[in-house]
Amino acid sequence: MKDHIRTLLEDLLPLVDFNSDFLFAELDSLGVTTILMVLSQEYGIELEAKDATPKNLRSLDSIVEMVNRKISEKK
Amino acid sequence: MKKLEDYLCDYAHFSPQKIALKSAEGALTYHDLWTAVCERATELLLEQSSVYVTRAKQGFDFVIDYLAAHKAGKVIIPLEKDLPDERFQEIITLTAHANIPDVVSDILFTTGTTGKQKGTMITQTVIISDAENLIDAQGFTSDITFIITGPLNHIGSLSKIWPSIIVGATIYIMDGIKDLNAFFTTVKNAPNKVATFQVPASLRMILQLGEKQLKDCADKFDFIETGAAPISQADMEIMCKLLPNTRLYNTYASTETGIIATHNFNDGYCVAGCLGKPMKHSAIKIDDNGYIVCKGKTLMVGYCGDEDETNKVLHDNKLFTKDTGHLDEEGRLQLIGREGDIINVGGFKINPVEVEDIAKSMPEIADCICIPSPHPVLGTVLRLLYVVKEYHSVEKKAIAKYLASKLESYKVPQLYTQIEKVKRTYNGKLNRKAYLPE
Repeated sequence: MKDHIRTLLEDLLPLVDFNSDFLFAELDSLGVTTILMVLSQEYGIELEAKDATPKNLRSLDSIVEMVNRKISEKK
Repeated sequence: MKKLEDYLCDYAHFSPQKIALKSAEGALTYHDLWTAVCERATELLLEQSSVYVTRAKQGFDFVIDYLAAHKAGKVIIPLEKDLPDERFQEIITLTAHANIPDVVSDILFTTGTTGKQKGTMITQTVIISDAENLIDAQGFTSDITFIITGPLNHIGSLSKIWPSIIVGATIYIMDGIKDLNAFFTTVKNAPNKVATFQVPASLRMILQLGEKQLKDCADKFDFIETGAAPISQADMEIMCKLLPNTRLYNTYASTETGIIATHNFNDGYCVAGCLGKPMKHSAIKIDDNGYIVCKGKTLMVGYCGDEDETNKVLHDNKLFTKDTGHLDEEGRLQLIGREGDIINVGGFKINPVEVEDIAKSMPEIADCICIPSPHPVLGTVLRLLYVVKEYHSVEKKAIAKYLASKLESYKVPQLYTQIEKVKRTYNGKLNRKAYLPE
């Protein structure tokens, strides 16, 4: 899943370093919105403003964790 | 004429404890702000140059610098906060050799009506007239907190500092809206009502991700203004539904024309493209070719160091835009569109040629074209179609990084596609029309 998310996001946000542990600081408004929209469409989960926290978007690992959590909540 | 800094001085004396500036870093009262501005102005007076070029970082320091430069009688040139050094130096060189009239207070760099990067010169008269236009037409009052989230060198945000200071309101500065939770917390915690300016793309983001929160704090919004790019009819209608008691303005403005017309689309007439009647210091005419022509106290003085380009758009006390529109039976401006190759991304106007020239300077790129591409949030983003030289290879990320090292961040394309050949017209020019979205 991590590699798939990386490919999806790197394609849309080529300037963002998804290896960073300070990802949230690197993102702009569009980057945050793009991540949430793409992941909610790809995994059929609901992601909204309250999910766009520095903790959830700290790194690629924390993004994967958020997606997994949302998928489990849906079940 | 009373200057912006005179108003600040008045409030510092008569309402010293009123909060002038706020952000996550703290708060400054009108007294604190004025003291900081005076101290900074003293420092700036020691510098020989009559021009002060600075990157507009999103915080108190820039606002203090901006007001202090005025107080010190300098011309301030606020640039993109992440502007690469090379371009920063280019602008210093350009303005150092230019003939800048004494009345000029600010030079704002913009893509301009012709697409080339230009320094738009404005004066204190423009600043005060723009501010009075907004105060009169949108109802700025001293008890509002105006939340600025956009870049402070852009007219959309900078022009909100002006009326806020004139009425003695509080300005809250945020760095974008990527943390929407922080944005809504700011709205909820404001002592009274709030107002904000958001480009249509930002409103789309808010509606996409924060619709519930927007509805929850509907009563806190006195007014919201949008502009700089077209907003969709659907988003306007959703905004009206979510914020039934908020004034929602769509405004016609540009760095060259100043702030010209505005329309509250939550007042019974909600139609995309309607930008309202001209404000008190402005007038609009449509010329025989359908172009919008502006008149009044908010027009720029000219482009810095570029008399030819100035004369093309500014003569007979009128500013001739490349925007097309018409005036309806009520005298409201109805915008039709914009002519030319300029691409509007989230309120920023970009000349694709500038992007292409830089991309082609990359050793691996043989040819390229920068085109608009539809995007669900921004409406439009830039896509670079590129041809790689024989026996070479290059990754998208490398192109993006190269462009980011030479251009302002908003000019760096979001999307990249490698192609075999760029379509050209019979005389060898880029065939832009062939790439336009249907």
